[in-house]
Amino acid sequence: MMWTEEKIQQELTGKFAFLDGKIKLQRPRRLWVDAPAEHFDAIFSHLVRQMDFPVLLTITGLDETSQFCVIYHLAQLEGIVCNLKVVVPKDNPTWKSVGTFFPGGIIYERELVDLLGLKIEGLPPGNRYPLPDDWPDGQFPLRKDWKRGGEAAIKEKAS
Amino acid sequence: MTALIGILVFPGVFFLSLFGLVCEFVDRKLHARLQHRVGPPWFQPLADFIKLVSKETIIPEEADRTMFRLMPALAVAAAAAAALYIPMWSAKALFSFSGDVIVVIYLLTIPTLTFFLGGWSSTSLYAMIGSVRCLTQLFAYEVPLFMGVLAPFMLASTWNFSELAEFYRAHPGYMIFNVIGFAVSLVALMGKLEKVPFDIPEAETEIVAGSFTEYSGRYLALFRMAVDIEMVVGASLLAAVFLPFGLGLPAGVAFALYVIKVLFVVVLLSILRTLFARLRIDQMVDFCWKYLAPASLVQLLINLAVKGALLS
Amino acid sequence: MSKVTIPIGPQHPALKEPARFCLTLNGEKIYEIDLRLGYNHRGIEKACEERTYIQAMYLVERVCGICSHSHSTAFIQAVEEIAGLQLPRRGLYIRTLIAELERIHSHLLWLGVAGHEVGFDTLLMYAWRDRELVMDILADLTGNRVNYGINTIGGVRRDVTPRQIERVTKAMDTFEERTKYYVQVATEESTLIARLSNVGKLCYDDAMRLGAIGPTARACGLERDARKADPYGLYGELDFKVITDKHSDVYGRAVVRLLELMESYRIIRQLCKGMPEGPIAVKAPRKIPAGEALSRYEAPRGEDVHYVRGNGTDKPERVKIRAPTLANLQAVAKMLEDNYLADTTIVIAAIDPCFSCTDRAVLLKKSRRRNEEPVLWNSLRDYGIAWHRKQGLDFGDMNRRFGRMMERSSR
Repeated sequence: MMWTEEKIQQELTGKFAFLDGKIKLQRPRRLWVDAPAEHFDAIFSHLVRQMDFPVLLTITGLDETSQFCVIYHLAQLEGIVCNLKVVVPKDNPTWKSVGTFFPGGIIYERELVDLLGLKIEGLPPGNRYPLPDDWPDGQFPLRKDWKRGGEAAIKEKAS
Repeated sequence: MTALIGILVFPGVFFLSLFGLVCEFVDRKLHARLQHRVGPPWFQPLADFIKLVSKETIIPEEADRTMFRLMPALAVAAAAAAALYIPMWSAKALFSFSGDVIVVIYLLTIPTLTFFLGGWSSTSLYAMIGSVRCLTQLFAYEVPLFMGVLAPFMLASTWNFSELAEFYRAHPGYMIFNVIGFAVSLVALMGKLEKVPFDIPEAETEIVAGSFTEYSGRYLALFRMAVDIEMVVGASLLAAVFLPFGLGLPAGVAFALYVIKVLFVVVLLSILRTLFARLRIDQMVDFCWKYLAPASLVQLLINLAVKGALLS
Repeated sequence: MSKVTIPIGPQHPALKEPARFCLTLNGEKIYEIDLRLGYNHRGIEKACEERTYIQAMYLVERVCGICSHSHSTAFIQAVEEIAGLQLPRRGLYIRTLIAELERIHSHLLWLGVAGHEVGFDTLLMYAWRDRELVMDILADLTGNRVNYGINTIGGVRRDVTPRQIERVTKAMDTFEERTKYYVQVATEESTLIARLSNVGKLCYDDAMRLGAIGPTARACGLERDARKADPYGLYGELDFKVITDKHSDVYGRAVVRLLELMESYRIIRQLCKGMPEGPIAVKAPRKIPAGEALSRYEAPRGEDVHYVRGNGTDKPERVKIRAPTLANLQAVAKMLEDNYLADTTIVIAAIDPCFSCTDRAVLLKKSRRRNEEPVLWNSLRDYGIAWHRKQGLDFGDMNRRFGRMMERSSR
């Protein structure tokens, strides 16, 4: 089946009524969807399994001061990109892994862990990425309140 | 006294080292020109040697220090010793006895063994893998090399270089029958000298420098000198066995002819190594046993037939 | 030989950039792989947040030394989308022209590196000789051999003259002829084929599952090319084929890249022929409105993905960069399984990895039997000077004289 942007929008709102008004068509081939955290699994697996989104371009993590936002950039081979946004609260920054769908996506999740300090459940054990092994705990460079040089002071104190 | 000068200066270690450097230059320059590069100036191999000798030597703490230091010297000694039994520009070598060809081939194996032992005792992982590859490769090319080199001797019914030279002086036409042997020996020699496509033991993109990874300073310089001498000796061996003409000429002309013969072999080696990509160790072993060894067998059969038909 | 673990990297002659592949070997065969990345994390994403869009663009251009134009274009495409800028046609033509020239330079570079990894240095020398031609063209058009700096938000910074266009078209003839020769070498040279065929196999399903992109994916028969799937710039109007191959091994990746070169020549000819007259850039506002955009760009190694969010100021709120190598590295572990050690480097090289470089301190440990202390860079230098002095070589005087000379000339 050839998907169009409108068809995708219809299919999503048809299947998940609460998404009505939360889907934005930015331009041809660009959809932005705000997914409620509790329904994320269902929407994500529906997109990947039923709606021909076999490609995870990347995962972007944002610090929106009051909350974290995680964007999954899913794509079809024909070119339509669906940006699935989900909000993660700051006081409990725990989110789940999509490694079962995309084994290649694990590395992007490790970035979220290292740079934003999210806790990703279901992440397999492995080396950290991309910060060095002696990077101090609790320092997350991509958080807005993080300032350069913070890690150096801590490292010095430790040694 | 003459023997001592012969061993140390001419045609011994000193001459071989110098000629080795010249050969290295020819090889590097030609290789570079074939690759559209400018290439090094004529003194580059010597400059490299002096530079290495003047550098600090670092020996890994875990390494077996005695073995680590001994091996480079042994490599040079073995390669140079082999040269003493090969007739270069006269029909007679410095030392000669019946069966000297066997000794030469065995002496030429020793440098490879020292590469193995030197690499092994330096305990670096890269060096150890390089060493193991060194030995694996040795078992692959050694048999074809033996058979290839010994085939002309069989035709001449002798195990002695001087008698071989005498035989081919009497029957120069028979040299043509040894063409396959020459090709096989040339390829096997590339394996011995660890040149592309058989530079597997020192494949720099995989195992840094193989056996030589931990070597530095004068020990590395000695190893490199050993490789250079090995190249001269190998080329001389091929020249003596497969191109045994012009040995009775006046000394000067014969010497010039000898240099040309060796450089001819070096040029061939150099062209061949420009043409190919490095093989994998399993492909190398396959190639040696599937193609090289049978080819040398064919050479032996041809020589047997020729001997039966023409010389009886 | 029992199992040994051998580290390839972070510093290794085969890897031009730091990454560590820890291989456990069973004889010559690879048994287990452990990957460690991030040796070159420079915090560019964070740094972008502290810079204006223009500064960030130049910074992003330095993400990669080879596909610099790719990253800067991917970034400003997103910015231009947020700002709602309509680019002049001529600007787009020049941008695309540089993009394809960059692809040529990157693919030729890869061809040389691949040759070097399998010990075929002749190929390296030939390919890089030809790469000089395209470097010269790039220098002619943009003023730089790498990091062209031709992009600006709203267009390009430099116009091209008809004479330059003529030179580019003419160079394409040379390239076409040379590339045909390389295709011939790749398909006829037996040792090269022996080293590349059936090495680093990656089947279609695995490529799909692990998210392989670029020539790596296309060599598995997977038609993934952002230029076709999500046309940006001028690619929607250009006539070109997406090259795929069914070999699924390193050989296939080489063939794909070589044939892609031929496609690039075709694209460049079209661009040179159709280049319209007109302005090359529109004026961009200093402050970019709030908004977000995702930009995809088919870099020579695969797809670059940039996400930019603006907040109405002159600095971006968030920049996210996904370089192609990160996506492809997942596939490398799969490709290496059960291969020979000798094939490791060519398998890694076959995805055309680009870890980008970084400056990191060297930590040498002075090991005097258990009593380990770090050796600092300066003490290492002093040690070297003292050692040479002991050998009777003293460059101190020469250094001082050189220093004085430099001082005088700078005055």
